Amino acid sequence: MEITKQIVSADMNGLCCAKKFVASCLEGYGDLTLEPPVQWKEEKKRGGEDARAALEEAYSSILRGLGENPERQGLLKTPGRAARAMQFFTKGYQDNIFDVLNDAVYDEDHDEIVIVKDIEMFSLCEHHLVPFFGKVHIGYLPNKKVIGLSKLARIVEIYSRRLQVQERLTKQIAVAITEALKPAGVAVVIEATHMCMVMRGVQKINSKTLTSTMLGVFREDQKTREEFLTLTNH
Amino acid sequence: MDCGKPLAKGGKAEGLSGGGSTPSKVAAVGGRLNGHPEPPEWPAQQKAATQWQEERTRSAEDNQLSLPSLETAYSAILKGLGEDPERQGLRKTPWRAATAMQFFTKGYQEKISDILNDAIFDEDHDEMVIVKDIDMFSMCEHHLVPFIGKVHIGYLPEKRLLGLSKLARIVEIYSRRLQVQERLTKQIAKAITEALQPAGVGVVIEATHMCMVMRGVQKMNSKTVTSTMLGVFREDPKTREEFLTLIRN
Repeated sequence: MEITKQIVSADMNGLCCAKKFVASCLEGYGDLTLEPPVQWKEEKKRGGEDARAALEEAYSSILRGLGENPERQGLLKTPGRAARAMQFFTKGYQDNIFDVLNDAVYDEDHDEIVIVKDIEMFSLCEHHLVPFFGKVHIGYLPNKKVIGLSKLARIVEIYSRRLQVQERLTKQIAVAITEALKPAGVAVVIEATHMCMVMRGVQKINSKTLTSTMLGVFREDQKTREEFLTLTNH
Repeated sequence: MDCGKPLAKGGKAEGLSGGGSTPSKVAAVGGRLNGHPEPPEWPAQQKAATQWQEERTRSAEDNQLSLPSLETAYSAILKGLGEDPERQGLRKTPWRAATAMQFFTKGYQEKISDILNDAIFDEDHDEMVIVKDIDMFSMCEHHLVPFIGKVHIGYLPEKRLLGLSKLARIVEIYSRRLQVQERLTKQIAKAITEALQPAGVGVVIEATHMCMVMRGVQKMNSKTVTSTMLGVFREDPKTREEFLTLIRN
């Protein structure tokens, strides 16, 4: 199928910019009821020990390049710790949405907004490899199917533990929920602080970046969107 | 800044110069650590400690020279994580990450005496001076992950005052390094002591460690507080209390 081919050839972090895919996202999402793109299902292979050793060596070389002494007591085991930390911060690549969700979708005759807000999110900026963190607010209008509430937080975890761009993260969460549930609408708002802006560059400490993705009725119907935004205090 | 030089006499900094009559390494480094006698390994630790006193281990030219190797390392990291370094979002990331990391460790390029030399003023003021809520951003030397927080500094002048922004600059120099919060606190206190010979210095740092929040124990709201009290701040509980009350409000 053309969409799948396009998407598989796109990068591994699930860029939602395969044209047709975006078009269907924009229209609500009639087309998304078709076979979901392969990317959401793929598990990324991650080398085990070899990858760890390569990461450690890279971090050793970084310490030297910064003018530090990698032999001093505080830094002796730092390459190992930093490598493991970085693998933890990108563990989302190994996770598979459908494993997490498959058994927690329930048939329920509920047609009011369901919101899970203030989900803490920690991610890594793919441009500077520096953390950005904040809160995610998710709302959806079920269409005969509801999802276990913690699964929304797990979806956030899977996509945020990657090298990300906040806009893409927002969209990926929304699209994942859409695919899993086929609800009447999904809304995701992320409010985050980017350390790459706070610790360096422009150094604006109190700045926050807000991104949102509204799909389905949240995009079409202003009142529904307003209700969601009011309930999440925006 | 030579950590081994004893402090100038004539200041009321008794707590800082240790027992005058015993020429021990203790006196040489300016006092006991938090009231505990030095452990026998202190000489080795002292070496590690003075390592941090060495400034300018790096220059702007070094930065340029080491940039390619840093970029290669970051490229390797991206590959090791299973990402595709050729995709659009990641193409310049090795360079950006390398320059960002050099920025986060720019404290190694700076020297205390450069920023302080001309901003010390003789003033007949003997009340506490506090600069609080100085934002601090540092890198944990164990995981290479940021820790961020606020620094509160107070000192009791002994005829000499320091330009206020210089306190923030001292924080910048020491925080923009691979650090451990305890050492950072002590370094700031010592730098002020050495520059001014005040009657006392108090430094409190309150920080959130991303290595604890984003990984490991994942405790979101935990804060780490460290403090260094030297001179009258250590000896006189009332002074210390005044300082701690003023920074709390």
